[in-house]
Amino acid sequence: MSENIYITEERIEGADDGPLSGTTVAVKDNISTEGVRTTCGSEMLAEYVPPYDATVVSRLKEAGATIVGKANMDEFGMGTTNETSHFGSVDNPAAPGRVPGGSSGGSAAAVAAGEADVALGSDTGGSVRCPAAFCGVVGIKPTYGLVSRYGLVAYANSLEQIGPFGETVEDAAQLLDVIAGDDDRDATTRETPLEEGETYADAATGDVDGLQIGVPTELLEGADEGVVETFWDAIAELEDRGAEYHEVSLPSVEHAVEAYYVIAMSEASSNLARFDGVRYGHSADAEGNWNETFARTREEGFGDEVKRRILLGTYALSAGYHDKYYKKAQDARAWVKQDFDEALSEADVLASPTMPVPPFELGESLDDPLQMYLADANTVPVNLADLPAISVPAGETDGLPVGLQLVGPAFGERRLIRAASALA
Amino acid sequence: MTAQTVQQGDLVTVIGLEVHVQLETDTKIFCGCATEQTDEPNENVCPVCLGLPGALPVLNEAAVEAAVKIGKAIDADIPEETRFHRKNYYYPDLPKNFQITQYDEPICADGELEVAVEGERRTVAIERAHLEEDPGSLQHVGGGGGIDSAEYTLVDYNRAGTPLMEIVTAPDFRSPAEVRAFLAELEEVLEYLGVFDAERDGSLRIDANLSIIPEEEIDGDDTDEIGMDALEAANRTEVKNISSHKGAEKALAYEETRQKNAIQRGRAVEQETRHWDESRGITVSMRSKEEEKDYRYFEEADLPPLRVSGWKDEISIPELPSARRERFQAEYGLSEEAASKLTSTKQVADFYEDVAGEFDPDLAATWVADNLLGELNYRDMEITDIAGRLEEVSRLVELVAEDEITAKNARETVLRSMLDDGAAPDEIVEQEGLGKTGEDEVQQAVVEAIDENPDAVDDYESGDDGAINFLVGQVMQKTGGSADPGDVNQLLRAELE
Repeated sequence: MSENIYITEERIEGADDGPLSGTTVAVKDNISTEGVRTTCGSEMLAEYVPPYDATVVSRLKEAGATIVGKANMDEFGMGTTNETSHFGSVDNPAAPGRVPGGSSGGSAAAVAAGEADVALGSDTGGSVRCPAAFCGVVGIKPTYGLVSRYGLVAYANSLEQIGPFGETVEDAAQLLDVIAGDDDRDATTRETPLEEGETYADAATGDVDGLQIGVPTELLEGADEGVVETFWDAIAELEDRGAEYHEVSLPSVEHAVEAYYVIAMSEASSNLARFDGVRYGHSADAEGNWNETFARTREEGFGDEVKRRILLGTYALSAGYHDKYYKKAQDARAWVKQDFDEALSEADVLASPTMPVPPFELGESLDDPLQMYLADANTVPVNLADLPAISVPAGETDGLPVGLQLVGPAFGERRLIRAASALA
Repeated sequence: MTAQTVQQGDLVTVIGLEVHVQLETDTKIFCGCATEQTDEPNENVCPVCLGLPGALPVLNEAAVEAAVKIGKAIDADIPEETRFHRKNYYYPDLPKNFQITQYDEPICADGELEVAVEGERRTVAIERAHLEEDPGSLQHVGGGGGIDSAEYTLVDYNRAGTPLMEIVTAPDFRSPAEVRAFLAELEEVLEYLGVFDAERDGSLRIDANLSIIPEEEIDGDDTDEIGMDALEAANRTEVKNISSHKGAEKALAYEETRQKNAIQRGRAVEQETRHWDESRGITVSMRSKEEEKDYRYFEEADLPPLRVSGWKDEISIPELPSARRERFQAEYGLSEEAASKLTSTKQVADFYEDVAGEFDPDLAATWVADNLLGELNYRDMEITDIAGRLEEVSRLVELVAEDEITAKNARETVLRSMLDDGAAPDEIVEQEGLGKTGEDEVQQAVVEAIDENPDAVDDYESGDDGAINFLVGQVMQKTGGSADPGDVNQLLRAELE
């Protein structure tokens, strides 16, 4: 396999019978699998084998799915291209020579290459939607609290959700049916709003008649021309099927990327503190006092992007800077939420290009983290607002996949699935 | 609160406490692991309390209930909802390298506790009390055995995740004796609430801040009026590793003297953290330079805020020791001393009330406060050690109340034998032949003694009252010591009338 999709290829068979019986699933390598190493794409955890299954993995097994491998990813989910992985970058099966997007690049590529029927990724600031868009597949970022994070190695725990990938919206929705719902082990989860007998998959009817689509003008600004063109073509297709669109405004989103990175890095600085070599993971030679050993372990085990984010996050939370950065970012987050609420009071769903650009060439963006961060402009606001979103293939520009992102109200996944299923 | 100033020249001691109390719950605060102590290290652990990647905390509501009970007992404000924060620092006993604790919305704020210090009632302000998780424990092995000199350090995470309540007082203490009295009262209250086990190793851990400031900074009796500037200006030491109220008094007395000596010799008191070395009875400097720590607190998003507004009304707490002490005095006519002894623990007070309900309250007080607690204390035992045998003690009091045996035999023979040999009171009475001799038998012995000792009778009748003692002795001999000497005295006098 040339694309370097999996970090660990191993079959984990589920129950004999179940809704996913006969379905193969790629699982992002930051989701814990009992007895199978879970590396987070990092040298730090290259040999770490969890003694327990993440809740979503237990649910996959109960549903009869066959896990076929642990998918490559940006180190600890920190990246937009999959190139920060300690295990090497993934080649995009839909656009060879290009990145698959990140951070769940391996998961999206597995589905695009037909290596797995469906896949699980995690989305902290776009990490499911970006690779879905770049690889030309469907990816869902559920409402915060719909899917248990128990066993998902945390990057920024107030922002992230595990989400499904599929070739079609219905496939992804079927996987969502298996993983969604409250979990005693994750206090932030709640029950699905599904009525008796209802599923997410059966919402994939393609019926968009009368659907009101809001298009936030801010999310088109600065986007690649070809991407914008493909986006409008997809909107036109939805119009043909009876949907209507109008422009809406999300004035707060101009601050979203800054706010997102401050919050995500702050949380990361704390979430990744546990990797000190004492209990698991890479451990440097124990010379000097334990602080020196911790420092050496972390210096050796983490890659540059992870170190950059930990340092910046530590800084943002420090006395004297906390109010200027972390607190201000929280205020911006509240503002973004409010903007989305208002926009969604005038529309059923909001639509934008998932990524403002087509997939980068491999190696193109590595030297400029800021360019990489700005590519997340359309996806991070959704995580700040805890809302559900879906990325669905909208078409191509110069032969490169373009994704359409639809955002809905909290726990409105069925509405997104119905709308997106008109396209894939 | 009236300040009892400890004066030495014009210096006053100011002490504030941070008391860490392990809450007694079946399971840990954020996972289902048992909190019971085991000999095997790292036995009661799971992905959550080991901080394994991906594990998430889920709040144990029993810990919150215990915290609300404490809040009610110290008359604290309990907020509408309470939330958790992360306190970030690196230490090998801390599995996640952050501690889940509470920051600006503690479960209890602005409470107080009334304490008796040398006969005077005092109120100590409690600024806040919050919930947090206990770290694991470290064992330094080899080398000097100290934190800096050991060859290596072992970590045991059995304790990690045990629910802790950190209780922070105002700088209201003016002497180590006050601290001791406060801690003893606090322990008593916590035991009454059933949220704390004093017997458990490490269940109480105290950090104390002590400064010496000029007396004029204290404005009369009102300690709220201590110039905070003066407190800031005075260098304080934080004394750690104190684990009992007695230890607190000793450690702080040592530290008070050390600081006063330094000041009087014109040396500066360094702002530092000092470690109480219980075995050597001294405090030793832990770090030469005290730096302001930055814990980078921020909200723990994995634990949604918990609404507790209704909990204060829904959760009831038992009568507290101070209230019970007062009631014992009023209801049973006990002295303050007896009432204090009888409310020293909830088990003692409950048992006293059982016994006083059935028999004479004074007799019950003598038996529980003096005889039982005295004999237990002598054996280094607690009432909890004989929790299953309290009915037997009741039976013993009944034997005395119904005059079946003498008080002296009951205390000196039966009770001691019960505690030493584990026998039941009736068995012992039977075996030792302690049953009080029947009245007819005593009466007969009285008649015989009079008949057999005409000289003594003559002496008595001619006004030598002392002769009656000789006759009592004769009767006691005849009855093998099982008659009551007072009764015999009465019977002899009646017979001789």
